[in-house]
Amino acid sequence: MKAPTRPRKLAPIFLVTAFAIGASIGTAHAQKQGGSITVGQELDIPGFDPLKVGVYDTSANTAAAAIFDTLTGMDDKGEPEPRLALSWSHSDDFKTWTFKLRPGVKFHDGTPFNAQAVKENFDRQKDPANKCRCAFYIAFIHDVQAPDELTVVYNLNDPSVNLPAILTIQSSNNVIHSPTAWKTKGDDYSRNPVGTGPYILKSWTAGDRMVLEKNPDYWNKGHPYLDRIILKPLPDTQSRFASLQSGEADVIWDDEYDADSILKAQKDPKLAVNTYKGSGAAVYAFNTKTPPLDDVRVRQALVMALDRKKMSQAITNGLARPATNPYGDGSWVKCKDDGALPEDPDKAKVLLKAYGKPVDFKMLVTATPRGRTVGQVLQQLWKRVGANMEIEQVDQATIPPRAFMRQFQVTPWRIVDLADPDPQMYANFHTGSPVALANYSDPELDRLLEHARNTADIAKRTEDYCAISRIINQQAIWFWTFQNTYYSLSSARVKGLPKMYNGVIDVSDAWLE
Amino acid sequence: MLGFVARRLLYLLPVLLAVSLLTFLIASLLPGDLAYVILGDQATPEKVEALRHDMGLDQPILIRYLGWLGHILQGDFGRSFRTGQTVLQAVGERLPVSLELMILAEFLGLLIGVPLAIACAAKAGGAFDRFMTSTAFGMLSVPTFLSAILLIYLFAVELHWLPATGYVPLSEDPIGNLRFFVLPALTLALAEWPGIMRVLRSDLITTLQEDYIALARAKGLTPRRILFVHALKPSSLTLVTITGINIGRLIGGAVIVETIFALPGIGRLLVSAIGTRDLIILQGVVLLVAAGFVIMNFVVDMLYAVLDPRIRHGHA
Repeated sequence: MKAPTRPRKLAPIFLVTAFAIGASIGTAHAQKQGGSITVGQELDIPGFDPLKVGVYDTSANTAAAAIFDTLTGMDDKGEPEPRLALSWSHSDDFKTWTFKLRPGVKFHDGTPFNAQAVKENFDRQKDPANKCRCAFYIAFIHDVQAPDELTVVYNLNDPSVNLPAILTIQSSNNVIHSPTAWKTKGDDYSRNPVGTGPYILKSWTAGDRMVLEKNPDYWNKGHPYLDRIILKPLPDTQSRFASLQSGEADVIWDDEYDADSILKAQKDPKLAVNTYKGSGAAVYAFNTKTPPLDDVRVRQALVMALDRKKMSQAITNGLARPATNPYGDGSWVKCKDDGALPEDPDKAKVLLKAYGKPVDFKMLVTATPRGRTVGQVLQQLWKRVGANMEIEQVDQATIPPRAFMRQFQVTPWRIVDLADPDPQMYANFHTGSPVALANYSDPELDRLLEHARNTADIAKRTEDYCAISRIINQQAIWFWTFQNTYYSLSSARVKGLPKMYNGVIDVSDAWLE
Repeated sequence: MLGFVARRLLYLLPVLLAVSLLTFLIASLLPGDLAYVILGDQATPEKVEALRHDMGLDQPILIRYLGWLGHILQGDFGRSFRTGQTVLQAVGERLPVSLELMILAEFLGLLIGVPLAIACAAKAGGAFDRFMTSTAFGMLSVPTFLSAILLIYLFAVELHWLPATGYVPLSEDPIGNLRFFVLPALTLALAEWPGIMRVLRSDLITTLQEDYIALARAKGLTPRRILFVHALKPSSLTLVTITGINIGRLIGGAVIVETIFALPGIGRLLVSAIGTRDLIILQGVVLLVAAGFVIMNFVVDMLYAVLDPRIRHGHA
């Protein structure tokens, strides 16, 4: 359901397999109080008011994780755990969820946190008059009610068996702002955010740094550990890594396209590489209504021609992990048989020969160095089996509208690391959805998607999702290249960095050794 | 003189108008409609249409330009759709950083270039002169992004003498502020000094062939005194021009240097405005920078007129 723009977040993953080199959760007594760290981020944070900025990028998520709280958090096993909500329950049809809130919590400005505050946050985003871009991601929630001081009820339009997990990510939808603050500060609120979180915004120089000071009245006694967190945008990849090496930064964001720095950091005993293998993948959709891609043999041939290992080597020095389904190793959906077509260039040639006509088509590619590289590698791989792909470079922002209007033959897209496969799978593959990009309709696929969304049993849902993967893979309506892997590099002294759910570097509970 | 100033000011108006039109056109012709950018992955045709209408993007480009210009004439450069900051606020916050960088870079450039030029001119054609001339050529061809990364690796990562990235305001910590500026200013200066050196060197060599220098030599003045007192000053006029024009080049260089060294200046503002298609900020900043450049040149023109009467009387 997402365009391959810079990673942007909704919610984290449900169950994950992940590992972290260097940054372990550690034993309970090891945490030290005090000190300060600097985090080098990829992007300038525009602000925090959802009405102004719409959605947070990963840099803003990191800040939001420190300044705000969410109702629920994600533990190390990928299960939702209490934060501002202490407990929760659901109706039999998973369309009503009731949360009991933590008493005695106050926002940084002294405003009491309660059910009304949660409801006001939601209503403000949902109100059509506010035209919030963030409203798109809460479309599945009909309304939020506050029957008493410490109870909130979420009434959903579509069932969600995993709502508490979906609410964990520090997105513009989920973090709870002080209603007093946005009402009194008006236009200035976006750059003067007020939450209940472990850190309070002290100062913020545009384009330079944001200073966060420890919240002495934080509800979670004994937390946070650090006195101060400084967030700095360091936009240049190379100087960002140099800043980590020279000590100006203690934690930096990175990704597998910067494989050189990651490999260097792995060899440096003073540094640690934190990896998180998320669910989801970098994906591509075929428009099955346009020849030659309307022929299943052509689509299958193009998928069989993919040598993902070679691609990974060429693009990311071998760091990128090949994907055979849309869920990835980071998902709780584990399939014995995901129906992936084998890598078989010879078979691909035979299929294209059977098709009989020349195979010429265009692929949308973002006009960035990365986009071009991936496009050229695919072009070469397809050329080997006799298919001619023409690269059409477009601006990142034009991919979604082109996709919505189905003005493409092959388009890149992304399935992000979410707590549950349903939101993205339903949107990407159910007949009639605006982002069912393949223009492909199959009653069996629709039935499986509906069944999976209305079922709570993990084993049954897994069966559904594996069957869905088999249909998509066999019909080759979409294909997947690499699984989502997220990276941060840090000084080895920084401890307590949790898994990077959804690619977010969360330093709100970190400490210095 | 007053008539001259008034005439020059009149020339300024069409130039500024042209700059504003170009700025607006360039920003409008960038690929990626603003409505698509704002809507991101929700850019359905209906939503795009509605937003374009709300923002007036469905109106003819000339109408939009005139509307924009009208607001600017009232001092309203617009507001970023991302941050809610006004253009003037954003520029005001970041201008001191870029100005400081420019001044320091120019200063370092002169500090390196001027003494070398004098040393070269003193023994023109000698071994040192030939060595420095070819070094200057070499340095001219080193791109800023390369020297920036090399300087960071040498002085920050290996030697730990200076910070790799970052910034503190001058008012907060003057020494720390300078520490952060050394490498970025040096990076820019490395690209500046060869031009300064070559211009001053050749002017000095020409001056040293003038009759009055021969006279000074005949009077028995020391070579040092001739070089510094009699030759340097009359040879500096081109240098002044170059220094003025360099400001424009430095703005270009600052875009790269501020990004690499994470300095929160105008260059970074521009880069992020382009990256996020923040057209209001982009148009406003480009217009302000261009206007600043035009006005700088106006001031240089005025300085010339003061220095050389032939210019203000229209004979030059």
